[in-house]
Amino acid sequence: MFYRRQAFMTVVAAATLAAGAAFAQPDGKALFGQNCSACHQANGKGIHGAFPALAGDLFVAGPPETVASVVLNGRGGMPTFGKDLSNEDIAAILTYVRGSWGNHAGPLSPKMIESARNPGNRQDDALKMQAH
Amino acid sequence: MTSSLDSLSRRAFIERLGGVGGTGLVMAGMSALGFGIESRAATPPSLSGGGGKKIVVLGSGVAGLTSAYELSKAGYDVTLLEARDRIGGRSYTARKGTKLTELGGEAQTCAFDEGHYINPGPWRIPYHHRGYLHYAKTFEVPMELFNNDNDHSYVYFAKGSGPLAGKAIRKQEIAADTRGYATEMLAKQVNQGALDQDFSKGDKELFLSYLRSEGYLTGKDFKYIGSEGRGWAVDRGAGLNPGVPSTPYALSDILQSDTWATLKSVSDFDQQRTMFQPVGGMDQLPAGFVRHLKPTIIHKSHVVEKISQDADKVQVHYVDGKGHRGVVTADYCICTIPLSVLRGIDIQVSDPFKKAVSGVSYAPVGKIGIQMKRRFWEEDHAIYGGHVYFDNPDIGSIALPSTGWLGNKGVLLGYYQFGANAAKISAKRLAERQAFAVAEGQKVFPQYAENAESAFSIAWHRVQYNLGGWAEWNTDNRRDSYPILNEPDGRIYLAGEHLSYLTGWQEGGIESAWQQIGKLHKRVHA
Repeated sequence: MFYRRQAFMTVVAAATLAAGAAFAQPDGKALFGQNCSACHQANGKGIHGAFPALAGDLFVAGPPETVASVVLNGRGGMPTFGKDLSNEDIAAILTYVRGSWGNHAGPLSPKMIESARNPGNRQDDALKMQAH
Repeated sequence: MTSSLDSLSRRAFIERLGGVGGTGLVMAGMSALGFGIESRAATPPSLSGGGGKKIVVLGSGVAGLTSAYELSKAGYDVTLLEARDRIGGRSYTARKGTKLTELGGEAQTCAFDEGHYINPGPWRIPYHHRGYLHYAKTFEVPMELFNNDNDHSYVYFAKGSGPLAGKAIRKQEIAADTRGYATEMLAKQVNQGALDQDFSKGDKELFLSYLRSEGYLTGKDFKYIGSEGRGWAVDRGAGLNPGVPSTPYALSDILQSDTWATLKSVSDFDQQRTMFQPVGGMDQLPAGFVRHLKPTIIHKSHVVEKISQDADKVQVHYVDGKGHRGVVTADYCICTIPLSVLRGIDIQVSDPFKKAVSGVSYAPVGKIGIQMKRRFWEEDHAIYGGHVYFDNPDIGSIALPSTGWLGNKGVLLGYYQFGANAAKISAKRLAERQAFAVAEGQKVFPQYAENAESAFSIAWHRVQYNLGGWAEWNTDNRRDSYPILNEPDGRIYLAGEHLSYLTGWQEGGIESAWQQIGKLHKRVHA
């Protein structure tokens, strides 16, 4: 049931963290494909009027903390990924996005993602998401 | 609650609520605190004397249809523009021939057999959604019960540990055992006097009686040894078949499995029995509205490009299905376009209003309907409707159909996921979504994969003219943006589920429309 979401997510995140530590670095391109490409598209061009392009986007190339914050906390139609993806995964995804499709912004480290995590209002609200 | 309110004074408390949540919260608070003011309307506002004033309604979901129906009944001259070539918005039913292409997705045509369908959007109507039921009754839309809770259904939790993890367990077994053990432990403590200071005279015995009844406890020592309600090892029958009682699971096994998370003392208000659904699909209520609207009112395949206004008029610029551009000029506009879409439309409103429109999140939501060759959940598992709960949020739940009982085939809901999980599953190709859903369902029902015939899936965040399942307000924008959007900007009124505390429900759209057309009518007659 959905009110148990937080606890399960914690378990998942812990498992992912453990796996990340023990095995190879997460594959940013594959993770982008799984989690982001439904909207932003595999070519990073988004869909005009619906999903923003990431290719050539100034925001994406901007300050790491701000970019990480959007992935962690969501914005507009974008869901929060803070509870679903580990710091390692998000760092790998954003490093891929910032270095693909003509983007030339620097990589992000898991440590930077951790410092951008802010258990604020928005995340708590997102966890309340209920079935209808 | 009562004591803190006494010291604060109820009136002051209610005024504080108003500061946080606007009028709606004040009304709800007043009702809850016994002021006798209903927060919710049960019938539409009684309007008359529209006098031919021209209203343009944007969107033909339940909010738009409610507005168009009530306003034209009151004598307004209504024009309704709908972007799609069908009416109903999210009140939508996929059946044989239904076509959907998500943004960035493949073309999809529903291939279910005649008479079978899935409601990819809203699908269940709580007993207290009186606006919806009002229109169902008015338009004589047949309704049937929606089974929202099934004791005999399964819970499939794989993330816990112990022997019950990763197994389909009957919900009735978990409920009986968890509550049996919990009440047994509490009853023993109370009986031994551990909580004597918490009871006034006589209450201790009454409380023990309650625990015995709640948990099916037996004997002087309040022991839980199982209960008939958890089901039989061998069922009772005729003749010399008295049945064999089932054996409870170990408390530790239940705790470690996490399956107890499906239990609550009472369902959330929105999820309680009794629930309804329209016979034949959710699109039957919009069809009821259409039967009672003049055919000239609704203009399908009219996509809004721009909304402008001046002191006297509002103008809606559209492009129709043939690429022709045109303008509807009206005295007022009721705009029910989801905010997720409206923020991409050129609309002439104040900056705070525009900012409020663009700040609201919309929920990514995914569902899949799968047609099964036979109703194995009924025939082999004795499950009639209800849900199978998963702790895998990529599935959420499987819902068995509350229609076509004992028939030959059936369409079940194979997953219902939100947020990041919906974003992830929606990245899969259609065939992959189906394969994923079937593989998960197979873990509960051994007959699942061999019976899966065809599927129809939706990811609402990728559906044009929706871009999300429903509005997701957070505390900040409920406080800052919501009150702004509930008031008109010039001649433009917004309505929809997003302007209610019933977001994501049909009822929110209907009651929001009632509220806004009531305001509009009052202004016309001021």
